[in-house]
Amino acid sequence: MNNLKPYKPNDWAGKLACGFLRNPLTIVLGIFLLSIGYLSLMIMPREENPQMVVSGSTVIVALPGASAAEIQKVIVQPLERKLKEVKGVEHIMGTAMDNVGVVNAAFFIGEAKEDSNLKIYDKIMQNSDIFPKGAMNPIIKPLDIDVDIPVVSVAFYSNNKEMSKTELYDRVKNIQHHINGLKNVAVTELKGGNKTQFNIEVDLNKLSGYNLSMGQIVQAVQSLSYSVPAVKNRTDDNKIIMVGVKNAIESAKDIENIIVAQYMGSTIQLGQVARVEKSYDIQNFKSVQISVRDENGEFTALRDQVTLTVSKLQGTNAVVIADAVKSELETYKSTLKEDGISYVITRNDGERANEAVNELVFHLILSIVIIAILLALVLGWRESLIVTFTVPAILAITLFVAYLTGQTINRITLFAFLLSLGLLVDAAIIVIENIHRHYYDKESAHCDADNLIVRATDEIGPPTNIATLAIIMTMVPMAFVGQMMGQFMKPIPANVPVALIASLFVAYIFTPYLAVRMLKRPDFSKEGSN
Amino acid sequence: MFKKFENAVRKGIESSAKRRLILLATLIAFILSILMIAPSKMVLAKMLPGKNNDTFNIYTTLANGSSVEQTKRVTDCVVEQLQREDEVLDIEVFLGMGAPLDFAGLIKGSHFKNSEHEAEIVLNLTKKHDRSEPSYMMVQRIRPLIIKNCASIYEGTVVSFVEPPAGPPVLAAVVAEIYGSDADGIRELSNRVSEVFKKTDGLVDVDVMQDDIYDKFEIQVNSTKVARSGVSVKQLNDIIYLAFEGMEISVKNSDIYNDQIPIYLSLSRESKRFSSKDLNSVKAKLASLKLMNAQGMMIPITELVSIYPKKSNPLIMSKNLHQMTNVVAETDMVSQVYPLMQARDTIIDTFSDKYLIEKIGLFNLELTDKESKKVYKLMWDGEMEVTLDTFVELGAAFIAALILIFLLMVIYYKSYTLSGIILLGSFLSIIGVIVGHWIMDIFTTDTFFLTATSLIGFIALIGISSRNSLLLIDFTKSLMNEKAMTKADAIAHAAATRAKPIFLTAAAIILASTLLAGDAVFGGLGVALIFGTIAAVVASLIVVPVLLYNADLERHFNLDKQHIDSQA
Repeated sequence: MNNLKPYKPNDWAGKLACGFLRNPLTIVLGIFLLSIGYLSLMIMPREENPQMVVSGSTVIVALPGASAAEIQKVIVQPLERKLKEVKGVEHIMGTAMDNVGVVNAAFFIGEAKEDSNLKIYDKIMQNSDIFPKGAMNPIIKPLDIDVDIPVVSVAFYSNNKEMSKTELYDRVKNIQHHINGLKNVAVTELKGGNKTQFNIEVDLNKLSGYNLSMGQIVQAVQSLSYSVPAVKNRTDDNKIIMVGVKNAIESAKDIENIIVAQYMGSTIQLGQVARVEKSYDIQNFKSVQISVRDENGEFTALRDQVTLTVSKLQGTNAVVIADAVKSELETYKSTLKEDGISYVITRNDGERANEAVNELVFHLILSIVIIAILLALVLGWRESLIVTFTVPAILAITLFVAYLTGQTINRITLFAFLLSLGLLVDAAIIVIENIHRHYYDKESAHCDADNLIVRATDEIGPPTNIATLAIIMTMVPMAFVGQMMGQFMKPIPANVPVALIASLFVAYIFTPYLAVRMLKRPDFSKEGSN
Repeated sequence: MFKKFENAVRKGIESSAKRRLILLATLIAFILSILMIAPSKMVLAKMLPGKNNDTFNIYTTLANGSSVEQTKRVTDCVVEQLQREDEVLDIEVFLGMGAPLDFAGLIKGSHFKNSEHEAEIVLNLTKKHDRSEPSYMMVQRIRPLIIKNCASIYEGTVVSFVEPPAGPPVLAAVVAEIYGSDADGIRELSNRVSEVFKKTDGLVDVDVMQDDIYDKFEIQVNSTKVARSGVSVKQLNDIIYLAFEGMEISVKNSDIYNDQIPIYLSLSRESKRFSSKDLNSVKAKLASLKLMNAQGMMIPITELVSIYPKKSNPLIMSKNLHQMTNVVAETDMVSQVYPLMQARDTIIDTFSDKYLIEKIGLFNLELTDKESKKVYKLMWDGEMEVTLDTFVELGAAFIAALILIFLLMVIYYKSYTLSGIILLGSFLSIIGVIVGHWIMDIFTTDTFFLTATSLIGFIALIGISSRNSLLLIDFTKSLMNEKAMTKADAIAHAAATRAKPIFLTAAAIILASTLLAGDAVFGGLGVALIFGTIAAVVASLIVVPVLLYNADLERHFNLDKQHIDSQA
């Protein structure tokens, strides 16, 4: 060009600026970054709170007939000592009550779930000889936050007072199976409702009147309800004939007719001493009720309901699963309505997460707009536009890195973005401000624009690098904060440094690239050359 | 405008009286802001503030041994109260079990609930954007009403309100773990501690996590009589269980229903009821229940056993191999730190009648029974423990950040003095953080706490303000180096030139943080960033130039050597 010699950049800030300033691929890189960022935002799983790695197992050992103090000595204490040997266990909680001992081992937050579960299982199985005689097999229940905590719960209730208690349960149980078949659904469970059951309620007075014992009834019923597989036999010409033995009990009537005793030729049937019914599980003290608002906005009285809960597989998107459950339920709506069954979604973590994420994304955009207006006022609208462009580019890179490292979009991730927003425009502001200063500096009026921009970028390179490094340094120790809080806040030290490093690259590559095309040099340069 | 500022800075740093005034004012501001936290309690600390939720749970727990019918009476009462609320959408009652598990329930052991005296109520509220009253204010309002009307139906009923936590969940806001070696002593002490909690302002939903002891009857089998009558003890146990609890004695497979259909046998509801809760009615009922021996003879059960009234065996809890009981309480819109300290003081003052009290650790107590010489320990857990851990660890992270920055600066400038100035300048932003919280507390209706997120904001601030100082020093250096300006000129010119980008970046941070400040959880961070940045700007444009002027810049920038070279 008409210049004496091109400026030789010393810092990599200037080198980056120099390399990309006239490169046609820069714009392609920009578009590529923005699109991978947008894709990441769309496909990353969304949650309200970040996933925490909480591991623990509960060991339950029953010893029927033992008192709490006995359980404490023979089950809980030996078990506690054994679990103490496991590495990584933070707390051991023991509970001894009549008949059963429960020991819960909680691992330090962040201990890998699978390893921890295996360690506990291993320890118990190796030491199964420590349990006393008569103790039942230990039940080991690992804690699994993803599977244990449902993301969606739906309450089904009947508007039809005549409907039997078991019918609602059976209807919902059918739906449960279909919901469980949806993609990424881990566990579905039913709470409330009653199962069908034959109830034999023996009248104590009649029992003693007929001089019968409960044991006789048990034997009589058990001997009749026995089932065998079909019998296979051959005909003379070797054709197979199946002969099935029908179960003797088909209805409540069959049970009523069971003969429990014979005295001097006359038989006593079960129906004579007991009331037999096919109804619901009367021994179940648990029940679930719901009260919702009717069309007039008034609360209905409490009525029995069955709650279906749905939990998701780890690392999957709660929003997608919740929507899938919702649309699956829609297909049953009309048939359910015919039978007078209504449902209401009582928990929707997917929707909650989506709302929280969308609200924060809105805040993020609002902040960017506010900063753009501020810069437009102070530096001019062209400069402001350049800085405003760098923000989505930086966030796009950060989102993509977060996606690659298997993170999810949650409140804390977005909170990290909001926190870094104030920091990541800094590098761009500093670069653009220095370019601006040089453009308006009379001394450099004779210089070529390309050289001037590279020099301006190069000049503030070292202090900006070191200052950004300083902010990254402040975030690094935060990654080592342990406990629940450390886990909860992990997205901050994980994402803010990435955003800051990205901000440097974007500031050195795109700010000069855009500046040389968008900024206008003041008139005095022409006057000067004249 | 920047010219004026440049002159002001030059005047400020050249007169020694003004220099001293600036440094003294900074020191006073720093000390005053520290005082705001510790002794005066003008700024209160809490791990995380309450969060406005669209849902919350109510746990009702009756005394042990209560029936599900009694529990239902209490929950019905609670539901009736809730139905009067306009913002409630639906109410679910889970009798005898926990509600579908949530994060809070996982820690509070909601999934282990499996008895007749327990119930959980879940309610959904209207969306928080359409609702004027935050959920935590609603809980605070209805809690006394429900406790007054419903918890008083049966003695020993505990109704607690469980809101989804803003951060990681804990067992309760305040947990006092009472350790000891004998169950009775632990029981007595924990009951006394719970009485103290109940009288402490700000503590609600107080509960002792222990079984209540209730009356029961025990059947003792007379083994000689059993052996003589030709029946077995197993048969006897089975029959008693079968008669009163009932058993599934067989199943029937079905292709219509989703489960196997059990065949369940029990005495009929009317005929198995005891007429009253006393020994005679139990005996009378058992007398009509008979066993058949191998010879086909019928023997009444009362012939084989004797029945005694007895107290129930409460469950025994242990943590890390030591026997203990938890006394838990929630806080009513206040930080748990201050009621906890108050309760601790009350314990120290009033328990001295029976116990010798010794302080162990930071807040924990050791109580020795004056008569029996038995030793008990009171350890604080729950949110207190998490808060302490978090603040200590974040504090350590903060110190580590300071050291890292200092080392980075030493590497960059190869001067301890300059690095010290940058560090000092960035440390001053704490004034802004604390004063900011105090100002916010004045302007908000409920308490604005200094939270864990405030601390995170503060840590981020050190980086931001060290960046300001760094750009300033770097520019001063290049001015002195390339344009051979005097120290005062260079500092003043650098401060004036750098003021624009410093203001700009500060404004960007402040504007980005204003939206954070409104959030319940991130409010602390927002406020810390806004006010901390203001303090950081003031520090880097006024205090840092003064400190720089006091330092021997020529030597630190390695300029004196160059001067000698050029002179030679």
